[in-house]
Amino acid sequence: MTELKYAEAVRAALRAELAADERVVVLGQEVGALGGVFTTTKGLQREFGSERVLDTPISEGAIAGWAVGAAMVGMRPVVEIMFMDFVMLAMDQIVNGAAKLRYMSNGQLSVPVVFRMPAGGGTRHGPQHSQQLESWFAHVPGLIVAMPSCAADAYTMLRQAIRSDDPVVFVESKYLYFRESGEIDESVSPDLPLTQTARVVREGTDLTVVTAGRMVQRVAEVARDLHESDGIDCEIIDLRYLWPLDTGAVARSVASTSKLAVVHEAVQTFGWGAEIASWVAEYCLADLDGPIVRIGSQRAPVPFAEVLENAVIPTEALIKEKLRELATY
Amino acid sequence: MPDTESRTLRVSELDTVRTGLRLYRSMVIIREVELHIERLHRAGRMAGSFHSSVGQEAAASGVCEALRPDDLVSSTHRGHGHALAKGVPVGGLLAELFGLANGVSGGRGGSMHLHHLDSGFLGQNAIVAGGMPWAAGAAWGARQQGRDIIGVSFFGDGAASQGLFYETLRLATLWNSPCLFVCENNGFAHSMPVERLFGSPGTHCRLVAEQGMKAELVDGSDVLKVHEVACSLVDYVRTGYPAFLEVTVGRVRAHSLNDPEYEYRDRDSGKNWLEENDPIDTLRKSLPDLSKEFDQIDLEVSTLISRETIQAESGEINQANDALRDVDTLDSGVRHD
Repeated sequence: MTELKYAEAVRAALRAELAADERVVVLGQEVGALGGVFTTTKGLQREFGSERVLDTPISEGAIAGWAVGAAMVGMRPVVEIMFMDFVMLAMDQIVNGAAKLRYMSNGQLSVPVVFRMPAGGGTRHGPQHSQQLESWFAHVPGLIVAMPSCAADAYTMLRQAIRSDDPVVFVESKYLYFRESGEIDESVSPDLPLTQTARVVREGTDLTVVTAGRMVQRVAEVARDLHESDGIDCEIIDLRYLWPLDTGAVARSVASTSKLAVVHEAVQTFGWGAEIASWVAEYCLADLDGPIVRIGSQRAPVPFAEVLENAVIPTEALIKEKLRELATY
Repeated sequence: MPDTESRTLRVSELDTVRTGLRLYRSMVIIREVELHIERLHRAGRMAGSFHSSVGQEAAASGVCEALRPDDLVSSTHRGHGHALAKGVPVGGLLAELFGLANGVSGGRGGSMHLHHLDSGFLGQNAIVAGGMPWAAGAAWGARQQGRDIIGVSFFGDGAASQGLFYETLRLATLWNSPCLFVCENNGFAHSMPVERLFGSPGTHCRLVAEQGMKAELVDGSDVLKVHEVACSLVDYVRTGYPAFLEVTVGRVRAHSLNDPEYEYRDRDSGKNWLEENDPIDTLRKSLPDLSKEFDQIDLEVSTLISRETIQAESGEINQANDALRDVDTLDSGVRHD
């Protein structure tokens, strides 16, 4: 067990897989000598050489398509998209290529590419550098969507992603890169299946909060406060993956608490919280004792000024207020 | 030593004969399959979209006959010719267009999404320029693994309007991808005349050459010439570098089956182009001694297509519960509820 920051955990996972499998290559802007703008590839080119850790031109579309091509002949490329906001330039190759090739080739082709991308706000990067767009990808058949909320998961889930035979959109939190650290467990087998993977972050009896990514820690802090101040006992489910979606974990928790809130940083309108809410309403209605509450970002770009950003992305205060309301419904 | 010289001449003539017959067969298969598909559509036996490659045979055949079976080809929405030239079986292609389970993509792809790895056909990418990084990345990936195969990406003149065109060429140069980029300049990007957008034929080739990539321009009505240039470029590419080939061809048919082409070009322009530039006629004329052999090939191809159509069409109908297979490697087709 080693204590690492989130960014270091990402790097450790890349390093472990580069060492374990020579088909693994890392491609991206500034991933070489510079070591990645968030240090997630620092030292890897020195260790594994410039044939395995490759600096690319500023060409997200070609990089993504190139990785798809290389994966078709058995390579396992890991593509770094510097900010999730830049993934639109690679969207065609991810959605029309990577996601569909196994299907439209009738199983002849496999595209084991990982598209890593730091997302979200909280780092004062402004509107074109702070988006949280995972709902888009969860909507595309053929893609795995991973969203680790802590260093330990970033490590294990990235190793799993690289070993997955499916294309994976791996959504990292740049807010957590240097703010969150934890024990990573090198002994966990990266060959674990991806299904049924949600994690119960906190057990509780009064209500269930389903969340993922950066919001997990925020919700955990709110839950601690609510317990101390109001005696409200929240159960927190960290989904870890939007696909595969561990609805079983959600259903089990809702059955015991009878109340559900979904918290995410993505824009609330048409966000993935709606899918969870709808699924629970459809399959677990009899378990519910209150309205399903969604808490997501406002339908606005993520602004630069802190006071504005806090009016867009769910704050602890907002989450606390909404959860208290639900608990006392 | 006149004897040796004449023997050398005879050997090279023999090569030309062999090559000519191979190229002829390949082109006639493409031409006849495309015309056959057109008839099947008109007769209501096939559904969906269809982009004919009649008139472009010399590019597909001339290049693919220069390849090894394990070389990898990516293609476009107008890609039946590339598939057939690379060796995708006629029956598997037709079955795919019938939407049957015995199609090369199990009836999931149709006319614009054929894939057949056994023939080294990575597949069509129906998004313009989308197949370029597939071939370049695959060739590079294979080279990383120590394999000496090359990639070939076919695309149209319209691809040069996409950013991916420049991005991929640059990356291929930077990383020495052994990939041959084949630009089929057929005069139109759907309804937009190439001349209006890029100027005269050869502009694509010049643009690429100016960026430092080896680039050639060749007349797609002369398949022997296309093949000769392709062979030399393929040899060069196999040493570990990318190259570019622009082939001027004709888009004899409309953009797609029901495209109202007469709104934007003369009614007879496709037909007129073919009358003057038909690569199949040109080959017959340049090898007049082989007319008997060519006739024989015509007959064989016609028989082949009839036979393969009957067999393909009587193939297996897809089962509805197969619709969710191979979406991913998770619990295929099972909803997580």
